[in-house]
Amino acid sequence: MISAITTNLPVFIIIAPLFVAFVLPTWAQRKRLVENLVISVEILMLLGTCYLASIVLLQKGIPIIYQMGGWSAPWGIELKVGSLGTFFLLTVAIVSLPVALFARGNLTHEVGGKERVARFYVLYLLLIGALGGMALTNDLFNVYVLVEVATLSCCGLVSARNHPRAAKATFTYLILATLGSCLVMGGIGFIYIVTGHLNMGFASQELGRIWQNNPRVVWMAFSFMLVGFGVKSALFPLHVWLPDAHSVAPSPASAILSGLAVKGYLICLLKVLYNVFGFYLMRVYSVHKIMVLVGMVAIISGSISALTQEDLKRRLAFSTVAQVGYIFLGFGLLNTKGLTGTLFYLASHAVIKSTLFLSAGAMLNATGKKNIKDLSGIGRKMPITTAAFTISSLGLIGIPLFSGFVGKWQLLMGSMETGSILPVSVIISGSVLCAAYLFPVIRIAYFGTAPEKDCKDPNLPQKLALIFLSAAIVFLGVIPGSFLELANRAAAELLVLR
Amino acid sequence: MLSLIIALFSGAVGGLVVAMIPETKNRLRNYIVLFFAASSTFFTWRTAFMVFAGESVRVAGELGGLAFSLDPDPLGAVFGLIASTLWPFTAVYSFGYMAGKHKQRTFFTFFLMSLTMTLGVAFSGNLIALYLFYELLTFATYPLVIHERSAEAMKAGAKYILYSLSGAGAILIAIVLTYAWSGKLDFSGGPILANSLSPGLNWLLVLFVGGFGVKAAIMPLHRWLPAAMVAPTPVSALLHAVAVVYSGVYGVLRTVYSVFGHELIGQLGIRNILPWIAVITILAGIVIAARQDVLKRRLAYQTVSHLSYILLGAFILNEWGLAGAIFHMISYSTLKITLFFCAGIISEKTGEIKVSKMGGIGRSLPKTMVAFSIATMGMIGMLPLNTFWGKYYLMKGSVGAGKWPLAVVLIISGILNAICFVPVIINAFKGECTKTNGEKGGGVSLMLAPTLVLVIVALLIGLMPGIVWPGVEAVVNWFY
Amino acid sequence: MSELIKKIIMNYPYFAAFIIFVIGALTVLTRSNLFKKLIGINIMESAIFLMFVAAGNIRGGAVPILSGKNPHTLYINPLPSALMLTGIVVSVSVTAFALALILRLYRSYGTTDLRRIYEMGNEVSE
Repeated sequence: MISAITTNLPVFIIIAPLFVAFVLPTWAQRKRLVENLVISVEILMLLGTCYLASIVLLQKGIPIIYQMGGWSAPWGIELKVGSLGTFFLLTVAIVSLPVALFARGNLTHEVGGKERVARFYVLYLLLIGALGGMALTNDLFNVYVLVEVATLSCCGLVSARNHPRAAKATFTYLILATLGSCLVMGGIGFIYIVTGHLNMGFASQELGRIWQNNPRVVWMAFSFMLVGFGVKSALFPLHVWLPDAHSVAPSPASAILSGLAVKGYLICLLKVLYNVFGFYLMRVYSVHKIMVLVGMVAIISGSISALTQEDLKRRLAFSTVAQVGYIFLGFGLLNTKGLTGTLFYLASHAVIKSTLFLSAGAMLNATGKKNIKDLSGIGRKMPITTAAFTISSLGLIGIPLFSGFVGKWQLLMGSMETGSILPVSVIISGSVLCAAYLFPVIRIAYFGTAPEKDCKDPNLPQKLALIFLSAAIVFLGVIPGSFLELANRAAAELLVLR
Repeated sequence: MLSLIIALFSGAVGGLVVAMIPETKNRLRNYIVLFFAASSTFFTWRTAFMVFAGESVRVAGELGGLAFSLDPDPLGAVFGLIASTLWPFTAVYSFGYMAGKHKQRTFFTFFLMSLTMTLGVAFSGNLIALYLFYELLTFATYPLVIHERSAEAMKAGAKYILYSLSGAGAILIAIVLTYAWSGKLDFSGGPILANSLSPGLNWLLVLFVGGFGVKAAIMPLHRWLPAAMVAPTPVSALLHAVAVVYSGVYGVLRTVYSVFGHELIGQLGIRNILPWIAVITILAGIVIAARQDVLKRRLAYQTVSHLSYILLGAFILNEWGLAGAIFHMISYSTLKITLFFCAGIISEKTGEIKVSKMGGIGRSLPKTMVAFSIATMGMIGMLPLNTFWGKYYLMKGSVGAGKWPLAVVLIISGILNAICFVPVIINAFKGECTKTNGEKGGGVSLMLAPTLVLVIVALLIGLMPGIVWPGVEAVVNWFY
Repeated sequence: MSELIKKIIMNYPYFAAFIIFVIGALTVLTRSNLFKKLIGINIMESAIFLMFVAAGNIRGGAVPILSGKNPHTLYINPLPSALMLTGIVVSVSVTAFALALILRLYRSYGTTDLRRIYEMGNEVSE
C-alpha cells in the first residue's frame, strides 16, 4: 500500500486537493469539519512535496518521469518531476498552507454566510490542485486543461463576496482570461499542427528539426502563447483586469491569486518557452529581447501606478503587475544566473505577496476601512500583523537579509551578463519605487496617531499563518541553501540545448 | 573575534532591552542605555587595538547565498572608535536633553540600534556587509529623525528616506557592476578592481561616489541634512554630524582605497574633477551657512562644508592627504558634537533657536559659550585645537600633489568659517541680554558635562597630536 | 495571386477559422453588451475548435472506428476531435458561469451594458 502511494506520489499530490474539493460540498453545513479537511489536505501535500523534493535533490536533478495510467509517451500524459516541478510545487505548498490557515479566521464574514465557506474552499482546493498540476505536467494539452481549471477557480474566488463590484470585476476577468485561454489553445494548436506531438519533449525535438520549414507558424505560436499567458499573468499592458479583481476578492483569495495563480501561468509560459521552443529558437525570433523590454516597461509603469493608489489592496495589486514585469524580464535573460534569480524571485514573491495581502486584509478588516490613511497608528494595536507587513515590505524592496534580495541579486548578475546596464538600472529603480509606495503604509501604521476605538485583533490561526510566512521570508533570505540549489538546477535544465 | 561581535551587537541587544522597558522607568532606562553604549565602546577599543597590532579579527559567513564578512582594517577601526567613543557622551547628553520629553522609549531604542548599524558599516569586510548595514542604518535612524512627529518632521523624514534609498540604489548598481567585472567583493587582499582597466570605470566611480555622497552630503545631494535638523539635538549632533554622515564619508574612502585603489584612480580621467567637487561643497556649504538664521541649520551647512574636507583629503590621492582626512575625521567629530550640544543647551535653557536673537546669552550661559567659542576656533582650524593638524596635513598633501590651489581653498574656508561664527560669539558676549535662565538645574549638568569634556579632549589632542597619530599612521600605512 | 487563391481554397477550414476568430475577438472587445461579449467568446472558441478539428482531417481517410471486417488503410486523426470535446466542455462551463454573473450584475445594476455599469461605479450598495 505504502509503495503504491510512493510510486504514484506525483499524481496523488495533484489529485488529493481535487478529490477533497469534489467531496467537500457534502459537509457544507459543518464548517469546522470543512476547515480541518482543507488543512489536512494541505499538510499532506506539503509532506508529499518535501519528500519528492528531497528525492530529486538527492538524484542530482535527474527528473522522475511519471506516466499517467501506465501509458508511455507520446500516447500517454507524462508528469515530469524535475527540479523546476518540485521547486514550484514546494512554493505552492509552502504558501497555500498558511493562507488556508489564515482563512479560518474571518472568512465567514467576508464571504457572507457559513454555507458559502465550503464553496470557497472547493474553489480554493481546485486552484491548488491545478497549480500542482501546472508544476509537474509535461504535456501541452494538459497545460491547457489545468489553465482552464485554474481560471475558473480564480474567477470563482474573485466573485466570492456578495458585492456587485465583485461580479463586475469577475466578469471582466472571466472574459479577458477566456480570451487568453483561446489564444493559448490556438498556440497549442499551431504547435500540434506543425509537430504532431503534444508531449513537450517530443514536440521540442520535432520543432528543432522542422522549424525552418514553417517559420511563420512557429512565430504565430510564439506570439499566441506570449499574449495568451500574458493576459492571464497580468503583463503590462494586458493587466487591466488585475487591480479590480484582486482588490475585490476576500483577503485569502487575493493572497492566493496574486501570490500563486499568476505565478502558475508564468511557470506554464516558462515551460512552453524553454522546454518546447528552446532558447535557441527564442534567440532566433528575438523573443528574449521583447520579453526584457516589456518586462522593464511593466516594472516602471506598475510601480508608478501603485504610487497613485489610495486603496491599499489596489496598491498591492499594481505592485503585482510590477513584480510580474521582473519575472518576465528574467525569463528573457537566457542565462543560468538570470533564470535562477527569476525562479527564486518568483517563489519569494509568492511568499511575500501572500503575506502582504493577508496582513493588509487583517488590518483592513480590523478598521473596516479601505484607504491607507485610515490605517493610522494601527501598528500599536496589531503588532504582529504590522510586523508581518513590514517584514514582507522589506523583502519586496530587496533589503539584504530577506528573500527578495537573494532573488534580485541573481537577477542583477544575470542582467549584467547580457551586456547592457539598462535592465540593471530598471530593476534597482523598481526597488526604489517599491520602497516609495510601500513605505508610507508602514510609516502611517507605526508613526501615525493611534485610533480611538479598539481594533479586532486577528485570532490565533491567522497570527500563526502570518508568523509562519514572515519566518519563511527571513529564512529564505538568510539560508536559501537547498531552495536556491533547486532553482539553480531548474535553470540549468531549462537551458539545455536540444 | 568575540570582542568584535560583542562590540557590534551591544547596540542592537541594548535597543531590544530598552524597547521592553515601560515608558515611565526613566532612570532604569538611562542606566541600561549607558551600560550598553559603554560596553560597546570598551569592546570596540579592544578590537581596535587588536587591529592596530596587526591581528586579523575576521568573522565571515554566508548570508542569503552571498559571502558576508566583518573584517575591520585600520580605517574601519578608526571609524568604529570615533563612533563608539562618542556614543556614551551623547547618551549622557540625551539624558539631560530628553528629560521630561515624550517617546523616550522609541528614542533610546533606535539610538542604540543606530550604534550597531554604524559599527556594522565600520567593521564590514566586504561590499555586501557594507551595503547591508548602510541600508539598515537608514531605517534605524528614520524614527529618530521624525521623533517630533510634526508635519515638518514627517516631511524631513520622507526626504531623508527618499535621498538615502536612491543613493543606496546607485550603490547597489555599482556593487553589481564591480562584482561582474572583477568577481570579488572582499576588501582584504588589495583593491578589488586592481587589475581591471575598462572604459566604464569612470562611470562606476561616479555611481559609487554619488551613491555614498548622498549620506556624505556632497552638494547637490545634501538637501536632506538641513531638513533633518528638525530632529532632537542629540540626534542632529551624533547622527547627522557624525555617525550617518561619516558612514557616507567612510563609504567614499572605501571606494577610493579598497574598491579602486589609489593607483587605479590615478589613471582614470575623472581624477582631476573629484577634488573640485569637494572644493565646491566646501566653499558653497560655508557660504550658505552664513545666511542661515536658525543656529542648527547654520551648523548643518557647516557640517556639509567640513565633510568635504575629508573627501578632499581622499581625492588628493597621496599619503598626506589621507593622513589629513583621517585626522580631520577624528578631530572634527569631537568639535561638531560640542557645537551642537551647545546649540541644544541654548535652545533648552532660553528657548531661542535663531542666531539673531541670541544676544547676551554669553553672560547667562558662560560655560556653554566658552565651549562654543573654543569649538569655533577649531572649525577655523587654529591652534591649539586638534583640527589644526588635520588642515595642516591636508594642505601639505595638496601642495605635495601639485595642487596648491586646494591649500588656498582650505585657508579661505577657514576665514569663511570665522566670518560665519565669530560675530555670533561676539554678539553672545557683548549684546543685550535677552533671557536670564542661567545654567542651573540638574538636566543642564548632564548636558554640560559631556560638552566640556569633549572640548578638553579636543584641546588635548590639539596640543599633543601624538595621541592619535598611531591610528592615523596605521591607516596610511595600510593603503600605501 | 492565383497561387494565393489556390492555397486559400486548399486550406479553407483554417481561413474560415481565422475569420471567425477575428469576428469573435472584435465582438468581445468592441461591444459593450454583456451578452454580446459572451457570444463573442463562444464564437472565438468555435474558431479554435474548427482549426483543431480541421487539422486532424486527412484527405481520403476513413472514420476512425475499428471494425474487424474491412480494415481501412487510412484513418483520420481522432486525437484533435477528442481534445476539442474537452474544449467544448470548458466553453460550456465558462458560458454558464458568465451567464450567472450577468444575472447577478443585472440584479444589482439594472442594466446589461458594461459601459453603463462602469459609469454607475460604486454607487450601488450590496
